Amino acid sequence: MRGTVTTLKYLLAAAALAYPLMPFRDVYVLHVLVLIMVYMVLAMGLNILPGFCGLLDLGFVGFYGIGAYTAGLLTIHYNMSFWLIVPLAVLNGALFGVLLGSPTLRLVGDYFAIVTFGFSELVVLFLTNEIWLTRGPLGVPGIAPVSIDVTWLASLLGISERWRYAFRGEAPYYYLGMAMVLLVYVVMRRLEDSRLGRAWLAIREDPMAAASSGIDLFAYKVIAFAVSTGIGALAGAFFARWTLFISPDMFKFWESFLVLCMVVLGGLGNINGALVGAIILIALGEVLRVALPKLGLPAETRFLAYGLIMVLIMRFRPGGIFTQVAESTMQSGLIKELRAKLAARRTA
Amino acid sequence: MDAILAVDGVSKRFGGLMALSDVSFTVERGTILGLIGPNGAGKTTMFNCVAGIYKPTDGRILFSGKERGQDVAGSKPERMTALGVARTFQNIRLFSSLTVLDNVRIGRHCRTSSNFFGAVLRTRSQRAEERRIIDAAMECLDFVGLGDLALSAASSLSYGDQRRLEIARALATEPRLLLLDEPAAGMNPKETEALVDLIHAILERDVTVVLIEHDMKLVMRICARLVVLDHGVKIADGSPREVRANPDVIEAYLGKGAAHA
Repeated sequence: MRGTVTTLKYLLAAAALAYPLMPFRDVYVLHVLVLIMVYMVLAMGLNILPGFCGLLDLGFVGFYGIGAYTAGLLTIHYNMSFWLIVPLAVLNGALFGVLLGSPTLRLVGDYFAIVTFGFSELVVLFLTNEIWLTRGPLGVPGIAPVSIDVTWLASLLGISERWRYAFRGEAPYYYLGMAMVLLVYVVMRRLEDSRLGRAWLAIREDPMAAASSGIDLFAYKVIAFAVSTGIGALAGAFFARWTLFISPDMFKFWESFLVLCMVVLGGLGNINGALVGAIILIALGEVLRVALPKLGLPAETRFLAYGLIMVLIMRFRPGGIFTQVAESTMQSGLIKELRAKLAARRTA
Repeated sequence: MDAILAVDGVSKRFGGLMALSDVSFTVERGTILGLIGPNGAGKTTMFNCVAGIYKPTDGRILFSGKERGQDVAGSKPERMTALGVARTFQNIRLFSSLTVLDNVRIGRHCRTSSNFFGAVLRTRSQRAEERRIIDAAMECLDFVGLGDLALSAASSLSYGDQRRLEIARALATEPRLLLLDEPAAGMNPKETEALVDLIHAILERDVTVVLIEHDMKLVMRICARLVVLDHGVKIADGSPREVRANPDVIEAYLGKGAAHA
């Protein structure tokens, strides 16, 4: 059974890797798959707050927007390389996370949620009105695609050619997105199974007991906020260099709500759940985008479907699809070692 | 006398309610002190003041951990834990969707130091620290007798075992002073008996114990000294024998007939 599952996983991964090279590939499907990857990263980033720390964040999309505009503006004004922009956008997202988090993370529960909601609205208002910087509602068009420039390597080798590859079409973004998802996934798994991740989970489970176990609640919440917003900004930077056009209405409250739905649907605090939630809701969104107009309904009606899903999941599976928290902890080598030791002790 | 903790004129006011007024007592190192009194007498409030959950309205709390006689009143809970004060809760507060081991590993937090970068990069020192955390946590779990259940869910434990797990988590912080808030509540006689053995074993680890408990037989048996609170005021302080004979205590708490029990 276990072997079959592993084989299935490898087959799925191989299929995912091979798809853009297949003759039957479809640009639209590739586009949706890349979109799913963007939302996977967003969902994994958001999961840190409500999932690991028990903090309801309704303004996550604000940081996604900050990342996207950081990347977009740096590209059109300074023509900066994507590889330089990514760390800058992540740091900028984290910086805003700390700036928002430091004064507000002492608030608990609903109050904190309201502040984050207000912040994301503020981001949209800023992007819309500060025309000198963001061009306002017109958006930022003409962002250059991602490129890989290794001319320096050529000149190092004494070849006077331009070794530059600019991303065109969906396939290169597909692989870049995959790498991004994998990177964030590994980081999340490692954080979850660490002193930092355990401190976060302790805060979620019982803040008073966590403080009495020696955890500085405020500091760890700020760290959580910075990591989460940094990942949101990473997704934003990728998004800007992929769609090549950004405008304020891409970062409206509904996006925050959608990402939150993904996390809740997948299971709060479960990293795999965030991935599955992203797949389900984005795929469903695309299906409804086609299906609803055929039924004579406007495309926005799809939010009703999201709402219905949330009601059903709360009724029948309140913990989400995957309810296990701290999953990676149980799979770490040290725990496997301990399990074997305990089993040996029991038989002895 | 070597006092590990000296509570000096501590008051705590919640709005118009004086939960504690001008309470003073000392706890001698290496002994068990019992804090008793009727419900609402301010016992848990006193614990919360010592553990840093509440800031006393007035008074000093002198703790002699590494430094002697440091005033720690109003310190944050995580600082008190770092200084060497650990506590358990009256209504059990476990990290219930985590494993038994994780609960105790979280207790190691203040004695370890790896950060975000250590976790992401899995540095050699981070991995070595994780191994030490597991070893120390297992030592605490074996000490309270829960070692074999290390990988079970904390919420699956029996009530008595949950209380023991709280003690294990508190011990994982390497305390000098352990505050136990009604550790025997809800335990059957057999579990209580095991708890007595456990508390004596804790004392042998060079940890001083302060105990809130309603089980008078238990308190009279294991405590070297008792402090009695009533309506936030200390009404008696002395050996169990003295306290049992104190008319104020009989009036407020023990009830007539206790003197002959």
